[in-house]
Amino acid sequence: MKKNLLLFSLLSAVCVTSAHADLVAVRVGRAETVAKGVIEHAVIFVEDGKIVTIGEDLPIERGIPVVDKPEWTVMPGLVNCYSRLGADSEGGEDMSPDVKASDELWPQAEEYAEILKYGVTTLGIYPAGNGIPGLAVAVRTKAATKAEMILQDPAYLKVIVRADSSAKKRITDGFKKADEHDEKVKKAREKFDKDKEKKGSKKEEPKKDEPKKEEKPEEKKGVAQEPAVDDPKPDEKKDESKDGFVPPAADAKSKAFVDLRAKSLRALVCLNTAAEYLHWLDALGKEDILWDLRCVMSQDSDLFYVANKKEWDLDQDGIGDKKVHVVMEPRLTLTPGTMRTRNLALEFTNSGAKVVFIPRLDNVAEHKTWLAGVGEIVGAGLKRETALYAMTLGGAEVLGVEKRVGSLEKGKDANMVFLDGDPFEATTRIQAVMLDGKFVFGDVNQ
Amino acid sequence: MIRMQRTLSLALAATVALAPFASAFIQEKTPETKDEKKDETKDAKDEKKKKEEDRWYAVVGGDVYTGTGAVLRGATILAKNGKIEKIDYDVELPADTKKLDATGYRIYPGLVAISSQGLLGNAAGDYDDTIDPFNSRMILGLAAGITTTGSGSTAVKLKRFSVEGSVIAEKIYAIFSWSNRAPRAKFELREKFKNTADYLRQFRDWEKKVKEQKDLAEPSKKNVDSSCLAVLKGEQTAKFVTGNRDELLGIARLAQEFGFRPVIENAQEAWTVADELGRAGARVILTPRDRAQKDEQQTREGGSSIENAAILHKAGVQIAIVPSAEGVDLGGIAGRDIIHLPIEVGFAVRGGLSEQAALESMTIVPARILGVSHRVGTLEVGKDCDLIVTDGDILHYKSFVQWAVIDGKQVYDKERELFYAQIRPRPAIAAEEKKIDKGESETTAEEKKDVEKTDDEKKDDEKKDEPEKKDGEK
Repeated sequence: MKKNLLLFSLLSAVCVTSAHADLVAVRVGRAETVAKGVIEHAVIFVEDGKIVTIGEDLPIERGIPVVDKPEWTVMPGLVNCYSRLGADSEGGEDMSPDVKASDELWPQAEEYAEILKYGVTTLGIYPAGNGIPGLAVAVRTKAATKAEMILQDPAYLKVIVRADSSAKKRITDGFKKADEHDEKVKKAREKFDKDKEKKGSKKEEPKKDEPKKEEKPEEKKGVAQEPAVDDPKPDEKKDESKDGFVPPAADAKSKAFVDLRAKSLRALVCLNTAAEYLHWLDALGKEDILWDLRCVMSQDSDLFYVANKKEWDLDQDGIGDKKVHVVMEPRLTLTPGTMRTRNLALEFTNSGAKVVFIPRLDNVAEHKTWLAGVGEIVGAGLKRETALYAMTLGGAEVLGVEKRVGSLEKGKDANMVFLDGDPFEATTRIQAVMLDGKFVFGDVNQ
Repeated sequence: MIRMQRTLSLALAATVALAPFASAFIQEKTPETKDEKKDETKDAKDEKKKKEEDRWYAVVGGDVYTGTGAVLRGATILAKNGKIEKIDYDVELPADTKKLDATGYRIYPGLVAISSQGLLGNAAGDYDDTIDPFNSRMILGLAAGITTTGSGSTAVKLKRFSVEGSVIAEKIYAIFSWSNRAPRAKFELREKFKNTADYLRQFRDWEKKVKEQKDLAEPSKKNVDSSCLAVLKGEQTAKFVTGNRDELLGIARLAQEFGFRPVIENAQEAWTVADELGRAGARVILTPRDRAQKDEQQTREGGSSIENAAILHKAGVQIAIVPSAEGVDLGGIAGRDIIHLPIEVGFAVRGGLSEQAALESMTIVPARILGVSHRVGTLEVGKDCDLIVTDGDILHYKSFVQWAVIDGKQVYDKERELFYAQIRPRPAIAAEEKKIDKGESETTAEEKKDVEKTDDEKKDDEKKDEPEKKDGEK
């Protein structure tokens, strides 16, 4: 494996040097790749904002600029998947699955420049409000324009679950809307088939035009509602592959739920108590969607009851059995009514869930102490690898951008944090931050 | 609730109507009605699967106080899918039965608190969608032996770890007021009952005749009170709250005149009119330690009495007992709140009530009042497997609930919960400490212990060790 890597890197390094001028090599003492463990004496080649190669002690061709920092440790840029930094709109109380957090993006917000210094290179901004407030967006923390800032839009649908009938009804209503849409598609399909039959048998001129007339406005609708970032290409492909049938586009209110069912969108379900977890499963019923949890770590959280099915003999699967991500603060809690501490992050991990950390509070100062905060949970027994994943790749998975950011791997965005020691050591400081292949913080002589 | 509304019509069809009153409100959630979306073939398959995977639970070797008067010493209770299948000796247990060894313990039906507050979380009505089955007051309720509670006009089970199937009856009561201070309201209530009774008579008559004379007009519902109608039809239970002798008499007469069985809460002076209440078929909710002053201007008997429950029971009045505070109160009136239900009942025994009647006053009688006596309140074949295992007489202040079981599933274990685990731990654990007390060296005691321990006990010990380990990791 190592040999292959070496060979490959050699080749790529050689090939690339002559052709491209912006190839950079970074040599550090240690790389926490998250995806593939630790690499000692790591060399990372970066070009066009992407990681070209990463490996142990790779040879560097003469002529390639080198950042040589053998005393540093590098880890992927931090991902905070649940934040409102830089956004300041007020949300409603009710159901608005069509609201997009990307509409309120403002790349110049000064918070972004600040948290970039603390190593946060990817941010998930969620829409404000209660009920089902809308769609989150994944962004880079430095960009000149809104379009440049966006990594993924929408990233997830935020759903707030409480133990009351109206919250549960919002969820079932959402899926009812999706049912209505399915019905609409079915009807359109039937009509289309009928028209086609007629076309085939009679070959009358005016009837030939009819379906076309219907299709066209629908097509336009679909394009108009497509997010700006998405390519309109897949729709065209569908057109060709199927017999010319274009399903009517989902209206704004039902689109999110249609996408959830199609598994092209994840849901981030915000709930805080064990009871709310059971009520969420009850409201979800038999729907098969991709969902993750956001749980506030209150001092006497009772979520340990639903960590897994086995321990308390639950009727339903526990959080761990569902193998979902749990977005939570790095905070120790107490068993209710006692002073006995619990490490819920550890309990969830041992049960099979994937813990994803966010700063304890959603402000700039807490981003500064984020690594140290997670360090406390590591001190309380959570494995280092789990904690590193929870600050990088885990968040990227929740946002649906795990193919681009979150780990140090070939082909991924070159987002890196350089530290002068172990990330979870209290004395460690961030020395430099790289975003899309460029150093955006730190005094680095190349 | 969302799903319940959808399945209401189907559920009603599945209702088992054993109780004469309020039976129309009991909804059984059957697994078949839940999965509407599935096609029939899949449904049938699922049913088959379920039959194959019957859930068995057994409590073995305890003295079974069935609540009906019978006591079966050292018997076994076997439950299938949450319902009691068998209560007998030498029962052959099916494979993979979950077994609880209750040798040396007593088994009672799960207690029914006629009313309580806060045991279900911060929920206020609409329990299917709001219940918090993890809140600590629910644990305290179970520790007191309560497995079912009335809450407002709803009967709910303290089903921990589950949000489904907790509500077992809704819209139980029609609440009326009958007060000496509002004579006009008393008169009006009587008028309402009279008009409604007249209407009901005409309606029943019309029902018979309309089969022959099809164009016969239905009697008008003018002046008919819907609450009164529900009571007279037996769909809801009339509930009054009073302790005053004259008012109690008035209610008894009203009930006798219109032929319904009232439920009367408080009823401090009821012992003075016990015969009348008995003849009216009244059911009384009382608190033995309640105090009320006698009206000094009256020469006749009055005021509260410790004998209230005993006298009423002798006169044929069914009594349900509730502590003076219906919530969990760990402050000022500790000892008089809902988690001391059996203690409160003990005071009725002090006043002369028989122990059997005392047990009934916190099991089958409240179950009857709530209209759920076909499911809970006694240990009988066919009823829900809701029971408690105690280390002594339920009425003794020293007794603790060791385990509580609802729908054939263990929901409480004293040793596992924080509240009472350290007080008089179960013998298996206490025995270890005693041995060391006898002066034997610790090592020999340890060795002996290991030999004596059954596998189950060892498992228990391992479990006990776990939390310590976790602490160590931190």
